[in-house]
Amino acid sequence: MRRILLLPALALLVPFAARAQHSDYALKNDFEERVRALAARLDSASTTGAIDSVRDDIAKLESDFAPHSEFLDRALYPLTFSESVGRLRALQVLTYDRVYLIRTQGLKLSELEARIGALTSRLDSLTAQRDQLFGELQESRKSLASLREAVRRLTANLAAKDRLIFAIVDSIFLPYGKDLHQVADVQKEAIAQRLQNANVVTRVYEIAADNVKFLDVTQLQGKDYAGLIDQYQAFAARWTGLKEKMTDVAATSAVVAGGTPSQARTRAGAGGAARTNAATDGAAAQSAHVDSVLADWHRRLMAGFWGGLQKEFTQAGITVQEFHDGPSFAASVRACVASLAASKQDPQPFVENLWKQKIDRDWRDGLTKDGMLGRTEYAALDRAVSELSKETIDATFIAYIAGVLVIIAAVWFFIFRKKKPAAQAPPAPAA
Amino acid sequence: MTTCRRLIPVALAVFAGCSAITLERVDFGWPVESVLTVSPANTIEDVRYAVRANVAPVAGEEFQDSSALKGAKLRLIRSAEGYYFLTGPRFRHVFVFAPGPSSLVLHTAILVAEGGLKSPALNQRPPYVELIDGDSFRRLLTSDDIAEVKR
Repeated sequence: MRRILLLPALALLVPFAARAQHSDYALKNDFEERVRALAARLDSASTTGAIDSVRDDIAKLESDFAPHSEFLDRALYPLTFSESVGRLRALQVLTYDRVYLIRTQGLKLSELEARIGALTSRLDSLTAQRDQLFGELQESRKSLASLREAVRRLTANLAAKDRLIFAIVDSIFLPYGKDLHQVADVQKEAIAQRLQNANVVTRVYEIAADNVKFLDVTQLQGKDYAGLIDQYQAFAARWTGLKEKMTDVAATSAVVAGGTPSQARTRAGAGGAARTNAATDGAAAQSAHVDSVLADWHRRLMAGFWGGLQKEFTQAGITVQEFHDGPSFAASVRACVASLAASKQDPQPFVENLWKQKIDRDWRDGLTKDGMLGRTEYAALDRAVSELSKETIDATFIAYIAGVLVIIAAVWFFIFRKKKPAAQAPPAPAA
Repeated sequence: MTTCRRLIPVALAVFAGCSAITLERVDFGWPVESVLTVSPANTIEDVRYAVRANVAPVAGEEFQDSSALKGAKLRLIRSAEGYYFLTGPRFRHVFVFAPGPSSLVLHTAILVAEGGLKSPALNQRPPYVELIDGDSFRRLLTSDDIAEVKR
């Protein structure tokens, strides 16, 4: 503390001493010393008040040495007097921004820490609820209504957990903006610490694993899948974003722990590099773990969806080529439509009972998702199936119209025959 | 023969022109003196102006001991004329050197303080070099002598 107070006092006294002995060298040194001292004060400043005080001292430095500016322009080569003062001023502005940001972030962070804590405890209570719901699901197999209710509640529980974990992630990254490359290493280290404290990767893994288990033990209906596909796609996208950020943070965190990359290399040689690699590898291994369970989730979801859809065809007595994804499904339906059109078989069971009553009602939402069949392809298939139905409708309609016309003609004929004798009645005899 | 006679003055003029180019009013002056520490090998080095010299002969001349300057801080400045002025604490003289091929040749040793300087400093004050030592000692030097004594 005493040292901090002495530095500005010395800095004020030094130029007068320099002027007393009239040494140019001492004058140059005094100027450089004062610039260094002010830069050091800026470096260690932690309040905006301290930085404001340095700003005043920069102005004092400039006015003290302004009479010697011509000499200093030459003596400070390659800098000039005004450049040296300008650099100090720029440093002061930068430091002010940094300190202001850190202080305001500190307030935000404490609020967010509380929010993360609340979200984490909610997530834990949802996990307990999930276990109970899985138990209920096992018991509810006897009654279809209670089974549906258990599935609905469990789906809602998993979706809530999914939202919560990414709300936690958002809360951790929110104060640092979108571009993580512009975040200082120390702040990245803080992010890494928070991710670790909130146990984020383990929780992400658990949620993905819960979804796998859910798909494993639940008999789902066509209309259940649209929400599940949405949930998977959103989760996968969020995870991809989180993974990139985590890799960045893990690399920085390892570097901060072992010093800067150059320090780590100089100090520990291969050891420092090994420590950095180990931390990065650890993060990569955790990510790979989540990736594998996410792949399992996707595989089971797709198998359930396309398997369930294929089952609808089988139950309706329609034989189609086996399909396992959007393109193969579209090919199968087109082949079926072509076959029905060529064979002159009655397309009603396919068009009405299967396509309209089942697929269009229960599976359309799932099929129209991107990455499944897509809206355009579904609309094209629907049109192809409708064309098949149109031919039938047209024939019936024509037969119906023909029948009606025959009836009208018959009625007209009878009316005409009845009226004709009345028209040809003989005239009354003349008296 | 006549042609040769005509060419002789032209050739003389060309050779005379080549050898007589002189850049005048060159300012060699350093804006500020350099304070250089004498190394264990009795050398001083100025990084900014890329000058390195062995100062053992100066120590021998001033202190009769060629290693007397090891670790001392010497003051060196080049005047606008191009002479190097060298002095230091306990020196009685300011040594003025003229630059030569790979050498500094003593031009003058100006006696400035019989009892030796205490904490000298050299300033560039064209056309002089100023020597100060404390608050009351001030001399304006030329490359040959003391031009003016100021207090």
